[in-house]
Amino acid sequence: MRMKRLLSKTPSGFTIITIVVAILILFPLSAMFGDILDAPSDTWVHIRTHLLPDYLGNTIILIVGTAVLAALLGFFSAYFVTFHDFPMRRFFSWALILPLALPSYIAAYVYADMFSYTGTFARALRLMGITQLVDVMSMAGAILIFGLTLYPYVYLMVKSSLQKQSRIYLDNARLLHAGPLKRLMRVIIPLTRPALIGGTLLVILETLNDYGVVRYFGVRVFSYAIFDAWFRLADVASAIRLSGLMLLLVFGIVAAEKLLRGRRRFQAALKSSSIRRMKLSVRSRTLVIGFLSLVLLFGFGIPVLEMIGNLFATWHVLLDVEWLYIIINTLTITIFASALIVFIALMTVNAMRLSKSRWAAVLLKITNLGYAIPGAVIAIAVLIFFVDLDRRLGPLYELFQNDGPALLLTTSLTMLVFAYCLRFIAIAYNSVDSTYEKIGMSYTEAAYTLGHGKWNTLWRIDLPLIRTGLISAFIIVFIDVLKELPLTLVLRPTNYDTVATRVFTYAGDEMIHEASGPSLVIILLSAMMIYYLTHMKRGGKHVS
Amino acid sequence: MNKFILILSVFLTGLLLTGCTLGVENDERALTVYTDRHYDTDQELFDQFTEETGIAVNVVKAGSDELINRLRTEGADTAADVFIVADAGRLHQAKENDLLQAVESDVITANVPANYRDVDNQWFGLTVRARVIVFHPDRVSEDDLSTYEDLTDPKWNGRVVVRSSANIYNQSLIASFLSINGESATRSFIAGLVANFARTPEGNDRDQAKAVMAGLADVAIMNTYYMGKMANSSDPYEVEVANALRVFFPNQDTTGTHVNISGAAVTKHSDNVAEAVAFIEFLTSPTAQALFAEANYEYPVNPDVDAAELLESWGDFIAQDIPLTDLGTFAQEATILMDEEGWN
Repeated sequence: MRMKRLLSKTPSGFTIITIVVAILILFPLSAMFGDILDAPSDTWVHIRTHLLPDYLGNTIILIVGTAVLAALLGFFSAYFVTFHDFPMRRFFSWALILPLALPSYIAAYVYADMFSYTGTFARALRLMGITQLVDVMSMAGAILIFGLTLYPYVYLMVKSSLQKQSRIYLDNARLLHAGPLKRLMRVIIPLTRPALIGGTLLVILETLNDYGVVRYFGVRVFSYAIFDAWFRLADVASAIRLSGLMLLLVFGIVAAEKLLRGRRRFQAALKSSSIRRMKLSVRSRTLVIGFLSLVLLFGFGIPVLEMIGNLFATWHVLLDVEWLYIIINTLTITIFASALIVFIALMTVNAMRLSKSRWAAVLLKITNLGYAIPGAVIAIAVLIFFVDLDRRLGPLYELFQNDGPALLLTTSLTMLVFAYCLRFIAIAYNSVDSTYEKIGMSYTEAAYTLGHGKWNTLWRIDLPLIRTGLISAFIIVFIDVLKELPLTLVLRPTNYDTVATRVFTYAGDEMIHEASGPSLVIILLSAMMIYYLTHMKRGGKHVS
Repeated sequence: MNKFILILSVFLTGLLLTGCTLGVENDERALTVYTDRHYDTDQELFDQFTEETGIAVNVVKAGSDELINRLRTEGADTAADVFIVADAGRLHQAKENDLLQAVESDVITANVPANYRDVDNQWFGLTVRARVIVFHPDRVSEDDLSTYEDLTDPKWNGRVVVRSSANIYNQSLIASFLSINGESATRSFIAGLVANFARTPEGNDRDQAKAVMAGLADVAIMNTYYMGKMANSSDPYEVEVANALRVFFPNQDTTGTHVNISGAAVTKHSDNVAEAVAFIEFLTSPTAQALFAEANYEYPVNPDVDAAELLESWGDFIAQDIPLTDLGTFAQEATILMDEEGWN
């Protein structure tokens, strides 16, 4: 059987690319995690007794709180927008992605500023005679900020999964007189579960990885401990050991989800009959619009308006020709890196789908490792790897240029792009994978049976089917790369500035009002990308 | 298939192009500076230096620890000539890691007083910041204040704010205590201070001042630099806070107020030592020092240059008399003590 042969025999191009990527990723990581098994240092004992118990507890509260909040916000906004009809539905459909454009650390700074003694909110309260201050710099504040800025991961993935949903299930449920609640619980949630879980997992990883918010708020969680170990205690080995523990935590979460899902797999037979949207009563319509507006207002509108307000006093920070270069720099590297990352993810997902072997799963784990490791740790791993690589390639460089720079790759953008890949493949993988899970294998298998090659099938059959998924993967990665800070700061070439590093210039110096200008540039670029990609005409049909 | 190969090759070409164009940038006379200071004033000074000498200044800005790590990893191949960092402890750490080299320059020696440079001339201070007590004059009289140690007195119970122990300034503060008072006295100081905290540490230095203003606390331990920045903030309400609060230099009759420096050093593997030295000479010169003082509200190290008017208005003060190297030597012990005594 030709199909069988295609599925099992010699490694495909997908697999080869995946293997190469996995090896490239494994090098720096293994160098980093190599000495994790060494005897622990004294500082490790100190960390274990004084830091770890607290940090572990706080981390669990933070990720559970954030995951629940983001899952609820993301799922319900996607559900309302997809299955219901109400005024401004189209607007909400894309605008709800916008909070993703607001980096969590910026949201944290802006909200903390607004609620501080000198902030807009506190001043407004004082005018009303209320001197009570609301302390957002707390665990609850952190959960709210992460929930509100990260829920779009869930929203995007659930929405693209719902749109691929066949109507048949819902129509059948309706025929069986299942009420809206029952349809939601028994049909929609089970069908979108991979997307819901995938999106929530991204939220958790993103939360675990954050350092800016938790450090500013003084919420002592895992990433805090990693940096403590590394910077305050100058013990890189312990920092890496902690990262290792964090990885275990992440794998634990993933494994738990797999276990919960069991062997159930839901693949809807794809028939792109459009979803019939439910008309809502005036009351529920008001409720739905109210809910979505609140989410959008707190996750995006209020902080952005506040920043625009700040910009009036600090517009001079944007008044520099240099900004033109900075924006071009930022866009070039971000688009390039994001496209590369989505491409690699596509290869990995295909390698995985087509071979069910266990070691393919191992490969996958490797390529996805980076997302669970704090950016600063990755930065050092990548740096060590590239310096080593440059030294090995030294004789080659000599051939072309005598007395040229010894660290050619290290001082180039290659290192930064590599680090972005290492860090963000997992996100792209997650969204591409959940789209593929939705369409299942049948079309691909049918194409193979009809004698089409793998690349051909990918190009002509799979790609059109998963295009929305790919686009949301690209949006997410694009915005993530755009916001990324620790890697960019350490690994960028000399004199190389991106918008994010400009934000850091001011935010790092407690000048949150001055940071507003550059932050707004990030938000604007992301928002334009979101708008463009969600409004792109496809085959003359407007996408909703 | 063909389209894929096409896309793939476009990717690879792009990768190579971005890689190569940025790698081979060969300016004739150029310096590479690794710095953890990211101020617009610094860039202004770098530009001024280029204008005066024709030596281009290439900059990498990142966190101090990341930069130290980067210098270590790059070893002899590093492009960095000058390392600038806003903490004496980190300068000491770089020296201990054999990343810096000794420099003989009469100009620098004349510009920088002995207590603000390394004993082996491996690093030199550029600016000074003091960690002071900031208080609200309505609730605290200046006569109530005396020393850092006095803040552990029960009368301050629930009235003190300071940021988290993860902050480098607090780490250096405690390191200086270890150097002056030894371990057990430092330990009880930390315990007493923590007992008087008005809240679990959160926020940055400015947030501590705002907490005092809001009445959440009556005194804050914070950096002079941020008081200067707040007094000249783009946010008029921050200016109000800075004007309402007062600065107190503690320990004037005892061990002196804690200070820390920003400093510069020539890296061990610099290929442009002469230019690097000229650069540090420039940064410590009266012109450059005046800009540090006026625009960035730091105390200049050069004794010939006056501090900004605002800083002068707070009056003169006596600084701790310890080698700043100690801030590095005791940094780790300081961290451990703070953890053990529950300073979050």
